[in-house]
Amino acid sequence: MTGFVARRLAQMVVVLFAVSVLTFLIFNVIPNGDPASRMAGKSPTESQVEAIRAEWGFDESLPVQYVKTMEQVLGGSAISYFTQLNVREEIVRGLPRTLSLAIGAAILWMTMGIALGLLGALRAGRVSDRLLTFVALAGVSLPVFWLGALMAHYLGFKLGWFPNGGYVPLTEDPLDWAYHLVLPCTALAILFIGFYSRVLRSSVLDTMGEDFVRTAHAKGLSERQVLLRHVLRNSLIPIVTLWGLDFGAVVAGGAILTETVFDLQGVGQYAAESVGQLDVPPVLAVTLFGAFFIVVLNTIVDIAYAALDPRIRVT
Amino acid sequence: MTATRSSLTALALALATTVAIGCGGSSDGDQASAGKQGGSITIAQGSQPDSLDPALAYTSNSWEPLWLVYTPPLTYRRAEGAEGAELIPGAATALPNVSADGRTYSFKIRKGLKYSDGSPVAADDFEHAVKRVLNLESGGTYLFEGIEGATQYIEAGDAEGDIGGITADDRTGEVTIELTAADGGFSNVLATTFAGLVPADTPFENMTKDPPPGVGPYAIVKSVPNREFVMEKVPGFDIPDIPKGNVDTITTEIVKSASRQAQDVIAGDLDYMQDAPPNDLAAEIKARHSDRYKEWPTLSVNYFFLNQALPPFDDKQVREAVNVAIDSTAIARILGGRLSGTCSLVPTGIPGHAELDPCPFGDPNGPGDKAKAEQMIKDAGATGEKVTVYANNDPTRPEIGQYYTALLNDIGLDADLKVIDGAVYFSTIGNQKTKAQTGLASWYADFPHPSTFLQQVDGTTIQPTNNGNYGNVDDPQINKEIAALLPEPDLQAVANRWSALDERVVEESYIAPYGSEELTTFLSDRMDFENCSTVHPLYGNDYSSFCLK
Amino acid sequence: MALAFGVLFVVLVLGALVAPLWASTVADRDPNRTNETGKIEVDGRQVDVVSLEGVPIGPQWRGEYFLGADANGRDVMVRLLYGARNSLLIGLAAALLTTILATIVGLVAGYFGRWVDAVARSTLDVIWAFPVILLGVALGTSLAVGGLQIGPFELEAGSMAISILVIAVVYVPYMARPIRGEVLALREREFVEAARAQGAGPLRTMVGELLPNLTSTIIVFAPLMVANAILLEAALSFLGVGVVPPDPSWGNMIDAGVDKLVTAPHLAIAPGLMLVLTVLALNVFGDGVRDAFDPRSSAAWGTRRP
Repeated sequence: MTGFVARRLAQMVVVLFAVSVLTFLIFNVIPNGDPASRMAGKSPTESQVEAIRAEWGFDESLPVQYVKTMEQVLGGSAISYFTQLNVREEIVRGLPRTLSLAIGAAILWMTMGIALGLLGALRAGRVSDRLLTFVALAGVSLPVFWLGALMAHYLGFKLGWFPNGGYVPLTEDPLDWAYHLVLPCTALAILFIGFYSRVLRSSVLDTMGEDFVRTAHAKGLSERQVLLRHVLRNSLIPIVTLWGLDFGAVVAGGAILTETVFDLQGVGQYAAESVGQLDVPPVLAVTLFGAFFIVVLNTIVDIAYAALDPRIRVT
Repeated sequence: MTATRSSLTALALALATTVAIGCGGSSDGDQASAGKQGGSITIAQGSQPDSLDPALAYTSNSWEPLWLVYTPPLTYRRAEGAEGAELIPGAATALPNVSADGRTYSFKIRKGLKYSDGSPVAADDFEHAVKRVLNLESGGTYLFEGIEGATQYIEAGDAEGDIGGITADDRTGEVTIELTAADGGFSNVLATTFAGLVPADTPFENMTKDPPPGVGPYAIVKSVPNREFVMEKVPGFDIPDIPKGNVDTITTEIVKSASRQAQDVIAGDLDYMQDAPPNDLAAEIKARHSDRYKEWPTLSVNYFFLNQALPPFDDKQVREAVNVAIDSTAIARILGGRLSGTCSLVPTGIPGHAELDPCPFGDPNGPGDKAKAEQMIKDAGATGEKVTVYANNDPTRPEIGQYYTALLNDIGLDADLKVIDGAVYFSTIGNQKTKAQTGLASWYADFPHPSTFLQQVDGTTIQPTNNGNYGNVDDPQINKEIAALLPEPDLQAVANRWSALDERVVEESYIAPYGSEELTTFLSDRMDFENCSTVHPLYGNDYSSFCLK
Repeated sequence: MALAFGVLFVVLVLGALVAPLWASTVADRDPNRTNETGKIEVDGRQVDVVSLEGVPIGPQWRGEYFLGADANGRDVMVRLLYGARNSLLIGLAAALLTTILATIVGLVAGYFGRWVDAVARSTLDVIWAFPVILLGVALGTSLAVGGLQIGPFELEAGSMAISILVIAVVYVPYMARPIRGEVLALREREFVEAARAQGAGPLRTMVGELLPNLTSTIIVFAPLMVANAILLEAALSFLGVGVVPPDPSWGNMIDAGVDKLVTAPHLAIAPGLMLVLTVLALNVFGDGVRDAFDPRSSAAWGTRRP
């Protein structure tokens, strides 16, 4: 088991390294103008541009540049090409917002997903099940940026039931914080609710056919007890693992669209804005952070799976 | 200066007796009348000002607040319209004494002047401010390079070095500046925020996160870049003709979406927005909130640059065809009606504006002639030539870009569009390697002088990167005349020679202007719109005039 | 029901193909030609297509400007149909590319195992670790100015090929993993052993024996891949990369429309609805396909992580 864990951790490091190299290359190899002159601002002289080039190492070879930039990013001293703001500080500032959104949405989609999935499984094959299936599929088909924009406008601006985007920190006013998160979390969750309800439904139906369930029935347990104590617990395994992966993906970048539409100024929005400005340090930092999140959660899931199912450890 | 985002200041250049620009607003043109005192307001800008350090700030986003924080030796009268273009003493006691040969300027710093933190102002501080501009490689460097010893200072590379041409006497407060050559516009340089006084111990670095104290009605007490900055009224400030301000605290938030800004001002969550409200909401605002909204003309020019270093715009006939085809009324709709057509580069109301009636390309406020333009393109043999149009992604710019691209296609060229993020747009089109053939540009005067516009087509300003002469216009006649006119101290006397240059730009179709944009003032309900909203021709909405009801 | 939606999807595709016809005959408007100062006749009066204040007209529910105009005076319906072409083309092409790549990777990794498998899995992990949208936006933005040159191939900035490539690559792990799992399971079966005993080389075995058995998995995944590709393309266009104006795509039409919801809601609602309908059709159809081919497969939902 430890061998497996060790292998997975090593793999994690390799993957993160590859991600950092790739991100760096995307911005530096593909011709996109001269970052030094972009940073130099209005009407600088050639010597000014040269000075910037030397300071950031643009005139050095790519590997040296890479090392220099990575040193800054990992050391927490990387600053944006434009705003001169410290990247780490910006990420730290945006993180609670992204996490608030992700956690809120995750809780919502889990609870609703499980509830609807269970309902569907219990009424499998009947009209209500078909209807739920349809609703679930509709949920998966809604583009979150469109849904979010419409919600923000009609429920927020027009009707005034909810705030029209923006974010209030938890420390400032917990109620307002939650109030501002209702629309964004709902918009983001709708995407996943459909998906999760379907997965749970399949999982429950699969489990219900298993031997141990028949045994439980034979032992005389009521339908309800069987369901709750045995079936649900077992069907939750794939859901929980999926949840881990999706949560990681949302924090890492899946939240970008929702954050942008509702102007939450989280990590995702910060990255999207920086990319638009070809501002490498923030993008590098956020991509690494996101990749790290995804990879860590993936690895945890892998290890959990291996712990549960010995066959997998061989791979 | 170039417009950042869509927030721009107006610059009404009407010196002394020339035509007064009609400005909106009910104010009678006097300086901001003192309104109800006290209170705090929250305002919004669409993007972080390029810098809150007076030595570096060079956009309307930053000048609008900084004007009230850092008073230079000279400043402009705090009034609307023509009056606002008048130079008055700021930190100096009076307008400078200029020697007969135009090369020596001297003024005296007011006695007893204090910074917002209470420390006294010294005559030496002026030189320190200039040194910071030069040492930090600011965009305003070129304005001060005419001072004796300035280029040597830059080359020496020593921050603490001395600029030979500036001498100061702390006892008397007298400051004397020697120029290498006469410069008729130098007084204007002394009125820019670059010349704003800062303490002599202000470090030689970008102080945006912690702006230095200055002399002015307001001081910046908090700055979180990309989020907000806070200005507070300075109790001891007292310079004649500069209003002390009414509101106690002004918090500026950076809100990227103009839609949200407008919605917030409507709802009262924001008190003022620097950007113009988007068309979508402007309609509603004009219908239901016209009692706190106004539009006003600016002295600026919006145009499409035509890069003559590359085909097809190296051909004059092709350039003319573009000018003939442009329909500014179409673009006006995209701008929600806030556009008035233009024929030339230098805007109306600035001495040196060429009054061309009729405009050779047709009525600037009328439809274009696409058929004629198409024929002209055919005659020039340019039909089917590939053109890439550049635009940035600030509000309305992509739509204007799409209009222009479709237009070029309609007259026979093969055009496509590239929309670039606003933060990197100007450095992209200003980089010769990009080979940008045409695209959107605009210019708002740095100060009341035609040179700031004609510099856009001055061949001597062409650079390989950060080029401001996007069209790569290099006309020896223009270059020579500009060089000859710059030192002239009396603008009125040579105004017609400047107009001749403006006319030449039109004749040669060096640019394709489409109009002058109007800007807006939109205040929340709590603000006293009627009495407390002055629009300065150079610096835009005057925060020191704002007051609550 | 699934079949009905499958038909709906086909109808949509056909509608997209018919776009130029609509543009020239019914609407008499070009998708990219602007018309800010035009007028049309409404109830006997001449009405501005775009008002002086910049507000475009709403849906007219007839020939010209069927669904109204946008801020540049262009016909929304025409752009919707042309946008459909772009969005569907990119979605289908990307999904196809994903399928091909994923099948190859899954087959090779599953069949050869050992270090080949390790390399393949690491590559998939790297792609998977990349925040999807960031990758798309990063590539799109970098290429916005310069375009891309790989050896003899040159991709112009803003060309659809870039979108297709990015979207395709992003979804490869999603599909390659289950395929790899299938291959791992099938590898030990008798018919594979038999083929090998008969002297079939790896290529023959993979293509001849394993691939046919994968078809059901592939078919089950296909509609889902197309749906995901279309959604991702819309997201990228919404963020400003992908299909760039003036060319229409549902994503960039929504982007332009969300700022005008007060006076011109049709600008954002129309493309959004089209997007939802198309993706929904694909999802329902795909669900039906899955039920038909492999009711117990959880592959379509990507639950297993081998």
